Amino acid sequence: MGEPERDSLLTRADGLRLVALCAQAEIALVRRDPMAGPLLAQAARAGEGRRAGHALALAAGIARAVDLADRAPGPSACRKVAQALCRLALQEAQAEVLAS
Amino acid sequence: MTGRVFGEDAAALAGPGMPVGDLFDLEQAVDDGLGLPARGLWMDAHVHLGRDRDGHTLDLPGLLADLERFGIASAVCFPPDDPGPGGQFAQANDAVLAAAAAAPERVRPFCRLDPGRPWRDELERVAAAGACGIKLHPIAQRFRPEGEECVAVVRAATELGWPVLLHAGYGARPLAGPVAALTEAVPRARLILAHAGRGDARALAAVAASAPGVVFDTSLAALPDLVALPPGRLCFGSDRPYGDYASALHLIDAAARVAGWSDRDVEGVMWGNLSGILS
Repeated sequence: MGEPERDSLLTRADGLRLVALCAQAEIALVRRDPMAGPLLAQAARAGEGRRAGHALALAAGIARAVDLADRAPGPSACRKVAQALCRLALQEAQAEVLAS
Repeated sequence: MTGRVFGEDAAALAGPGMPVGDLFDLEQAVDDGLGLPARGLWMDAHVHLGRDRDGHTLDLPGLLADLERFGIASAVCFPPDDPGPGGQFAQANDAVLAAAAAAPERVRPFCRLDPGRPWRDELERVAAAGACGIKLHPIAQRFRPEGEECVAVVRAATELGWPVLLHAGYGARPLAGPVAALTEAVPRARLILAHAGRGDARALAAVAASAPGVVFDTSLAALPDLVALPPGRLCFGSDRPYGDYASALHLIDAAARVAGWSDRDVEGVMWGNLSGILS
């Protein structure tokens, strides 16, 4: 998934930080919490260069483009896709930490 | 762009700034990167067919397109939270049974019941119509897994030779004690605990160790839970339309990598364990 570039240069603490941000962003998306956008932006920065990075960059882009609290079909579909991207990123980040 | 990406209609995603093409590319990259054996035999233990009162919807054409896209042979399907006017899911159960009649190789129909309401007539009706299991949701239908009503439903299912898929996880109440009580009350019960018991997986694993009929589905589960559970007790699940296939399959791939599962373990998770439960 994505294109790992500098995994080996990052610490376990970086991995744990990324896990926390992904998990927080995912539940914020589920709850349509306005914190979802900022959390995704932070997660995307924390994920730069990691296997989770591309998915998080896409999710953060979606959050910038759409009102994630809007319950209309289009924005709801976008929010669900952002959730799926968060799950992917969280899995990658957790796998990295568990394997370290 | 047409079709579905990460479980959603691509047409609904179209709009200024939406990276739809990049999403298709990433989903394909995830699929291409899966190291899971025996594609084409895979079975999904957890799919909701119909329309939930919260708006989530999956119809048979959408499911069949998903299964084809990801090489999944069949899916255990049951209604979403749509109890209907009688409160006993009769119309929603009928819709799942109709889907199974239309696609018998693809859809394994479970019925959904509310143990807190009269359920025996509905169970007899769906049994005669071809159902082969029951889905129960203690949070949505507000009952206790160890309660007398739930025990009675699980006992009736066991007498029919059916498994029961029990929503397990994400709730406030601890689950290990209630599930232990349920398995003690119905020792021959075959229970599929959804979401790998997310939030209670460690305690539930201890219960399952002494209850051979208990397995876990992987839908929307947590990776640290999956790698700690024995692969012989796991069944792949997606929780469509709440979950999506790309991340559901990626979760199994990640668990196999981290836990060091053999190809045989993965084949069990992807279809063999569920096939044994359903037979």
